[in-house]
Amino acid sequence: MSAPPPAMSDTVLIVDDDPFIRRLIATTLEDVARFELQEAGDGIEAIERAAEAPPAIVFLDIDMPRLDGIEACRRLREDPRTAGATIVMLTAASGDEMERAAEEAGADLFLTKPFSPLELLRLVDSTGGDGARP
Amino acid sequence: MTEGLARQGVDDELTRLREQLAERERLVAEKERQLEAYARDLNDTFKKERARTQELRESYVHTVRALTNAVEARDPYTGKHAERVAAYGLELARAIDVRLADDPQSEMGFLLHDIGKIAIPDGILYKKDALTPEERALMRTHPVVGWEILAGIPFLEEARKVVRHHHERWDGSGYPDRLKGEDIPLSARVFAVADALDAITTDRPYRAARSFAAARAAIARGSGTQFDPRVVEALESITDARLEQLRREIG
Repeated sequence: MSAPPPAMSDTVLIVDDDPFIRRLIATTLEDVARFELQEAGDGIEAIERAAEAPPAIVFLDIDMPRLDGIEACRRLREDPRTAGATIVMLTAASGDEMERAAEEAGADLFLTKPFSPLELLRLVDSTGGDGARP
Repeated sequence: MTEGLARQGVDDELTRLREQLAERERLVAEKERQLEAYARDLNDTFKKERARTQELRESYVHTVRALTNAVEARDPYTGKHAERVAAYGLELARAIDVRLADDPQSEMGFLLHDIGKIAIPDGILYKKDALTPEERALMRTHPVVGWEILAGIPFLEEARKVVRHHHERWDGSGYPDRLKGEDIPLSARVFAVADALDAITTDRPYRAARSFAAARAAIARGSGTQFDPRVVEALESITDARLEQLRREIG
């Protein structure tokens, strides 16, 4: 990667078209790590939020209106401001074609729905808030 | 023809609604599964938390017991006095108020009651003859010394009260504060009976151990003067067999 990683981001971006899932992830992560929590309801909004405040971690749903998670992931990787983020895809089932496509688009990790909140917490904890990839 | 079109329109609408309903049901089922995942983790976390609390509580008691053993190592006559007193005390506490028995600080206070004796010189602690008034005065500082040793430890705040007041008497003639009746913390009043019970039923250099029956009679005579009548009553509700069992378990 030629682009320099963003300096010490402390933002977690939660992207899902289901407000219930966004709320659930945000509530789970609240006050756990020293992260600022941001939300977006689709891929377009995700790109906009990420450009404003480059995130350390992005939780990215795949199936969303306007712009899906795979394409959003590709664009986040292309933008030097957001290329260094840890991208966690939220998938409905593991090991399918969708995951391969997401990996090709630059996803780092997968969290299968329904996800375990402890796994979610451990994942964020392991990134420690310094934006380093786990 | 128009009727056919209208019919077609209704069918399409129905199909659309059915699909919408199916999609909603799928989303609801997804949310339910997600909530179940949270419930499982919560259950798991709760169980771990409970086990850790238990572990932590046990390590506190073990630490306190080690401290108690250090005090008793100096005094060969009392042996496992503190552990027996703690066992009797907890049994009495259970008969009076289960909450008192369940509070880990009760046991800790019973175990630590004589911690202040580490500041008493061997010459006085082991003296076979009667103590001089000065020596007696020094000996009687041990509850306050113990109380000071345990200062600033939040998890021993309640236990500390037993340490300070374990020589108070129901009629107000005890020390160090000459507290009277219910001004004496309940745990210290319970301790006084447990302590007398063990003292009477254990061999001492100046006399042999006596029976539980003899101890009961002696304690009953002190009801309302040295001891809280309520605690003496609680002792009556515990059988000799139970007391014997507690003593045997400690060995």
